[in-house]
Amino acid sequence: MMDDAAIIERCLKGEKDAFRFLVERYQAQAVGHSRAILSNREDALDATQEAFIDAFQALKKFDLTRRFYPWFYVLLRHRCYKLMAKKHEAENIDEAIIIAPQAGVSGEERIALERALRSLSSEDREIITLKYLDGFSYDEIAELLEIPRGTVMSRLFYARRQLQAKLTGKFHQKL
Amino acid sequence: MKDMNCEEILIQKLALLDGEKAEFSAAQIDAHLADCENCRREIEPLENTIGLLNRQQRRVPDADLWPAVEKRIGASSAGGLTVKWQPFVLLGVLLVVYKLLEMIPERDFGWTLKIVPFVLIVAVFGFLKENPFKINSELILEK
Repeated sequence: MMDDAAIIERCLKGEKDAFRFLVERYQAQAVGHSRAILSNREDALDATQEAFIDAFQALKKFDLTRRFYPWFYVLLRHRCYKLMAKKHEAENIDEAIIIAPQAGVSGEERIALERALRSLSSEDREIITLKYLDGFSYDEIAELLEIPRGTVMSRLFYARRQLQAKLTGKFHQKL
Repeated sequence: MKDMNCEEILIQKLALLDGEKAEFSAAQIDAHLADCENCRREIEPLENTIGLLNRQQRRVPDADLWPAVEKRIGASSAGGLTVKWQPFVLLGVLLVVYKLLEMIPERDFGWTLKIVPFVLIVAVFGFLKENPFKINSELILEK
């Protein structure tokens, strides 16, 4: 499989079609991330599409020694927050869109957590899902969000505290 | 080194629970927790929340963004290479050189010079990967 830097080099040589490999490689992950920030599928798809176009136009600035996705994520979240500001955070929550159903996790537990996550601010929801649903390390989150590692630690702490407060009375007494 | 206040202890304890490096040792954190009931009261439900989160996975949505992105960035729909301009410049230069050679008076290069344009035409179609004899059934004659 061609690596990201090779694809980007081909794009920079004028092969616009090569960008397709990057879009197809990262689109599902990117839509998943934008759906954790935005609240409905259509907005998430729009923001992700715009972010890919931003990325294509900014490829000349890309440092080929870096990984593509963390660089792209900065553009993606910029698009998400821009769209959210435009819509004045008009929450239009559709179906459960963050957490995947899976064996060993009750539907009740998943729905309660999904609701609690939805009730958080976008910033809190974003950092929690990056940590626990994607499994990124603190250093990786710091790179994605362009903040110091110490800020990741404190923001995660407050976000978990918020989430725990939303969940109190729903599950913890059962655990 | 950071101050070992309650909030900082909780932040560092959660880092350890996340499998990350903390700024205080586990022994320092545990010693504080053993003495501080407020911290103990706070850490337990947070541990439960982390346990709950660790059992989940992100939903991977279906998405096919390439057709829309392709339209916006102006990529060709054929999926092939973008034709570059340099070969056409080279072709132009070769044709000019050919014409100049032809114009030299009292000099006969024979049939070899005469076939040069044909060779160039074949080379162009070869480069474009096009068959000039292919019949396009989609063409409609204007009446």
